[in-house]
Amino acid sequence: MPDFTPFLVSGLALAATYVLSAVGIVVLYRSSGVVNFAQGAVGALAAFISWSIVERGGPESLSWLAGVAIAALVSLAYGRLIAPRLVSTDPITRAVATLSFALILLGFMGYLWGEAPRRLRLPTDTMSFELLGVRVTLTRAIAFGLGVSVTAIVMLFLAHSRMGLQMRALANNRELSAMLGVRVFQIDGWAWVISGVLAGVSGVLLGDLQRLSGQTLTFAVIPAIAAAVIGRFASLPATVAGALAIGVCEALLTPVPVIGPFRSATPFIFAVGAMLWMQRKPVFVYR
Amino acid sequence: MSLVASSRLPLREIAVGASALAALYLLPSFLSDYWLRVLISVAALVVASLSVSVLFAQLGMVSLAQYGLLGVGGWFALRISHGAGAPFELALLTGGAAAALVGLIVGLPALRMRGLYLAIITLMMAGAIQVLISAFGFPDGGTGVLGKSTGARVMMARPFLAQSDPAYFRYAVVVAAFCYLLVLAHLRGRPGRAWAMIRRGEVCALAGGVHIVAYKVWAFALAGFLAGIAGGLLAGGVGQLDGSAFPASQSIMLFALTIVGGAYSWFGPIIAGLMLRAFPALLNEFHVDGNIATMVFGIGLLHALMTAPQGIAGQLAGAFRAVGKFFKGNGGTAA
Amino acid sequence: MIEINDLTVLFGGVRGLSALTASLPEPVTGLVGPNGAGKTTLINVLSGFIRPAKGSVSVDGKDLKGIPVYKRAAFGIRRTFQNEQVVENLSAADNVAAVLDNVPTDGQPRRTLIAKALDFVGLGAKANVLGRDLNAYERRMVEIARSTVGSPRLIMMDEPGAGLAQDESEHLRQVIRNVHRYCGAQVLLVDHDVDLISATCAATLVLDFGSSIAYGPTPDVLADPKVRTAYLGVLEESA
Repeated sequence: MPDFTPFLVSGLALAATYVLSAVGIVVLYRSSGVVNFAQGAVGALAAFISWSIVERGGPESLSWLAGVAIAALVSLAYGRLIAPRLVSTDPITRAVATLSFALILLGFMGYLWGEAPRRLRLPTDTMSFELLGVRVTLTRAIAFGLGVSVTAIVMLFLAHSRMGLQMRALANNRELSAMLGVRVFQIDGWAWVISGVLAGVSGVLLGDLQRLSGQTLTFAVIPAIAAAVIGRFASLPATVAGALAIGVCEALLTPVPVIGPFRSATPFIFAVGAMLWMQRKPVFVYR
Repeated sequence: MSLVASSRLPLREIAVGASALAALYLLPSFLSDYWLRVLISVAALVVASLSVSVLFAQLGMVSLAQYGLLGVGGWFALRISHGAGAPFELALLTGGAAAALVGLIVGLPALRMRGLYLAIITLMMAGAIQVLISAFGFPDGGTGVLGKSTGARVMMARPFLAQSDPAYFRYAVVVAAFCYLLVLAHLRGRPGRAWAMIRRGEVCALAGGVHIVAYKVWAFALAGFLAGIAGGLLAGGVGQLDGSAFPASQSIMLFALTIVGGAYSWFGPIIAGLMLRAFPALLNEFHVDGNIATMVFGIGLLHALMTAPQGIAGQLAGAFRAVGKFFKGNGGTAA
Repeated sequence: MIEINDLTVLFGGVRGLSALTASLPEPVTGLVGPNGAGKTTLINVLSGFIRPAKGSVSVDGKDLKGIPVYKRAAFGIRRTFQNEQVVENLSAADNVAAVLDNVPTDGQPRRTLIAKALDFVGLGAKANVLGRDLNAYERRMVEIARSTVGSPRLIMMDEPGAGLAQDESEHLRQVIRNVHRYCGAQVLLVDHDVDLISATCAATLVLDFGSSIAYGPTPDVLADPKVRTAYLGVLEESA
């Protein structure tokens, strides 16, 4: 029976990155109705920028900040320049548009940096402490801490701040909100920024914890979306729970013989399970 | 030039298609070996693109897994061909059936929900297929469940009538033509009418007695079958398939290019197949990075979504109509 | 024969239908009432789009509860919609064929059945015209043709008379009057055009606030003071 504890620890850190990404997806979907398939790609960009800065001798401790900032900017650029041109189309078209954005970013990163195996190194990698008999790097601890605190901050923000209220109004009924004087365009912009920041942080952490690869990080959007599916794209607590479950499950399967190499299909299983669960009662045409 | 269910038999399109087929018959003599093999792959990809376009044009369904299902079809075709020495046609059909089945099993939960969930689940399906294929690889003459050979890799046995490259090219074109006819038969029959009702509105379909989920399943099975056939064709053309050549991004690219080529037109999948295979080959000749192609395709899709849902084929058709009107207008009275 | 028994439909706190009970045997029955009275709600319950909170509804003796929505057309429940639902890319004949695919045919060749249906509504010459090339009235006729194929029991028409020219209105009345003789189906006609109702319906059910306020022979019902009040409001004495 393999010892699961180290995998549990790394699983929690991994899960935290999924939480960050998934929260970004749900917040953006709730305020703009767009499922952002490019969440992973934007995060990957942040990770690569961060890595490049260090490669060229820049300050390690601030490289990630630059990466996250770029992620927020790129996300905002999409939200301000491209998303408005699609606002009158159906949700699928808007989601597929983000997919094309992901393709563009994927090609861009492949062109500039290629797929050579790399690891993003953060200064906190070398610091560590002992917990439950397992060595925990500071990076992992920060990842987990960020996952928890950011979720809490976002939930408090949505529930208690003025902008949070406006975002919730937008999610509920966009046109009505506009008529009531909510600055739809501005609020939307902020939603894209928040989503970009979360994508950036998640990307940088994943680039450190797993691998700095355009393909891997871009498709890390899959577990995030699976978590969002579990939360039905509406409930943040359920999304967080889903992301935690997926991340921990994935990590815990690593040492298991036979199934281990296929653990990356975990989000898929969870998503299908969630969908089947959602259909257990028949839905009527007119609710 | 519409791929959308229409009562008229598209006689004009069939005539164009027939003459195109005749031209294609003569084509191999003009091509280098390399480009002949590229076009064989193009033929397979045209069928794959057709599978994407049937789903999208008929029902607005987005499947991001079709290239993955092509891989599944190719896997089964290879396994049957190597393992049981089955004739090529049987291998092809097995691949088609297998891909249809796999697609259905995985897609079924999402077929009863909003279209967005189908896009999501097929994206994940593509990811899962990527993991499985890179882990298992493709059968190449060995024994055991996976059919992996320990010695030299065996090429897939080509059809009896089509051993050489030029002959196989013509064979592939014929198979592609059959696939088109299969789709046409669907459009003019019960499924096409039911799909049209569903497209008009859920309420319209239900009041008309259409079992919406059943017909969505039918469409998805058809699309899976076509993708599987494409996989078998590709396997036969290249001789073997590469386990690392089925990343999820390929399925996304296939979808993107089908939209860019024109999902609503008969000609669209042909443009898509050319772009997916011939364009990167062209870039290769000029030593341009393949990632540029990815970026261009992403931009193309974005542009298509924002401005021209009919795609290149639609714009070409529009251009032809405009030219036609210009000439008619010159004749005096308005058309 | 439509039997409605204690039918209640709730939309959150709003009572779409409130303990509605009625028996509708006539070949052509009118269904009228002010906006929000529950007319479309009742039709949607019969179509299966809305599930009632309480009560039941049966057609020709069969309770509709057990019949899934997509099977109701085959059972014999058809309707036309306020916003016409003709498929633009299909010809008129194919539009009818699309429904014929799903309902019992009595062995006759499909082409004949479709031609008969289109002739009945006067669109025999336009069988191969695409939906998008038909005008609004022709589309409504296609919807009616669709609803008459394959042994229908009940055809519900939701405001078919809206926005019609005089001759079209006349033709519509003829068609509605002839439906029962042509295919044996009962017609339930919802419309605001009181003249249309008077000209075609032997009996009329009046709804207000989700329940029945009158039912009987059409001229009597329309003259009923309760109905006039509900429809036209109370005449206020000027101060």
